[in-house]
Amino acid sequence: MSKAITQDLSFFHLVGSASLPVQLVMLLLLLASFVSWWFIFRKLFTLRQEIKQTDEFEGIFWRGSDLNALYQRAANARHAVGSMERIFEAGFREFTKYQSGVDIGPIMDSTRGAMRAVYQREMDRLESHLSFLATVGSVSPYVGLFGTVWGIMNAFRELSNVGQATIAHVAPGIAEALIATAMGLFAAIPAVIAYNRYASDTAQLATRYESFIEEVSNVLQRRVAKPRDTANFS
Amino acid sequence: MIRLPGDNSEPGKVRSALLALLVHAVFLALLVFGLNWKNEASEAMSVDLWADLPRHSGKTLPPVERAAPKPEPVKPQPQSQPRSQQKPQSQPQPVIKVAPPPARKPDIALKDKAEKPQPEEEVKKPEPVKKEVPKEKEKPVRKPAEKPVLREEARKPEPKVEPKPEPVKKEAPKTEPVKKVEQKIENKDDARQKADAQKQAQQQASEAAAAQAKANGEIDKYKAMIQAKIRSRIIMPPDLPGDPFVEFSVTLLPGGDVLAVTLRKSSGYTVFDEAVERAIYLAKPLPLPPDSGLFNAFRNLDLKVYYRE
Repeated sequence: MSKAITQDLSFFHLVGSASLPVQLVMLLLLLASFVSWWFIFRKLFTLRQEIKQTDEFEGIFWRGSDLNALYQRAANARHAVGSMERIFEAGFREFTKYQSGVDIGPIMDSTRGAMRAVYQREMDRLESHLSFLATVGSVSPYVGLFGTVWGIMNAFRELSNVGQATIAHVAPGIAEALIATAMGLFAAIPAVIAYNRYASDTAQLATRYESFIEEVSNVLQRRVAKPRDTANFS
Repeated sequence: MIRLPGDNSEPGKVRSALLALLVHAVFLALLVFGLNWKNEASEAMSVDLWADLPRHSGKTLPPVERAAPKPEPVKPQPQSQPRSQQKPQSQPQPVIKVAPPPARKPDIALKDKAEKPQPEEEVKKPEPVKKEVPKEKEKPVRKPAEKPVLREEARKPEPKVEPKPEPVKKEAPKTEPVKKVEQKIENKDDARQKADAQKQAQQQASEAAAAQAKANGEIDKYKAMIQAKIRSRIIMPPDLPGDPFVEFSVTLLPGGDVLAVTLRKSSGYTVFDEAVERAIYLAKPLPLPPDSGLFNAFRNLDLKVYYRE
């Protein structure tokens, strides 16, 4: 009698007494949860930094600074600059290579191409690990559910061996099995929230970069046209 | 260039890992403490249950404490000095013999009263012997076996002295027997425990038998009730010859619902068979004993219905 009541329902005891598949599921979920939280924090820091740097650079750029000075600054401090600055740097480098008076079409094409390439690479970097978060968010509830179903199956199978069934016979098994679901949800919920948040942040950054590329090409195009006009006139 | 951005987020990696660890530690703590509350509650409940056990130890402990003071009042001081601590165990029997002589009848009466609740057979046996045989004969016979001669000598004067004060001091003999009884209790604790165990076993056996009989009675009663209820629902087809009967096997669910009805032996009249089958379904929920432990007897019910009652 006292045994049934004092049955150890502590968390560790439940986990320890779970069957092997359930324990494996829990381990997997713990791992997934840990890695996804790791990515969540990493992405948080990266995206925050990225947005800050982009804001800063946009501010400097549109304040009408000298493009050459900006390029020098970006080229000197590559490690500490944001994606937008890197895009600008690649485009401007490509642009300066041509300035010997070729036709404006190819210059702008290759400039834009260089900027596109860097843009793609930067976007790739920003979006890395997001797919992992999405996977954890969508799959870990099912994995947890699998562990739970397995545990409950076992609990009921054991129940069938007991002549008189009481809730006390199944309760520990079900409690133990439900831990798997809890862990799955614990891994999934933050992952889904973070994925949605970071996906929208990344998409915002992407549109900013794209419009920036267009604007920079326009600025550079004007720069090409101007000297030529003056050269023609003079 | 690809590596460069990697350098950018490098410091964040360690920090993120630590933060992730922190999050999991918090979650784990939540789980552990959340479940620990339940644990404490159940422990508190178990304390109530444990209270049953200490009673036995509580009974045995106090007597041991009493054992030491007793020998002094019962016997002259010279005797108590030579005795070692082991005596209290062997003493009680000599003590019994000494005490009865001064006041036989009161002693015995008191002992009987005190001993009634206690299942001691061994204690009572020596008493009848004492009543029949003269006191002085008993002592020499029994004491030598257990104790040195010194005590016998010391005791012999006692009975002589005590008979006189007897009428005067009624309180002394009364208190002594009580103590003696207690001492006997100590000595025969083992015996009593065995006797208790036996009694309990017997009780349990008899209770089990009684419960079994009661359960059987209950089962029969409810089977009759089921039979009657089904019978009341049958719409009998008219004018069947003779007294045909039909046998059905009914599978019940706890709660009295009918899970399945199978025909085991037809009556030869389909009308009658169907009427009974319909009646079985109409009669649900069938009456079942409130004690769910008896349900097993009703899980597969064999039903025999006669056309004529």
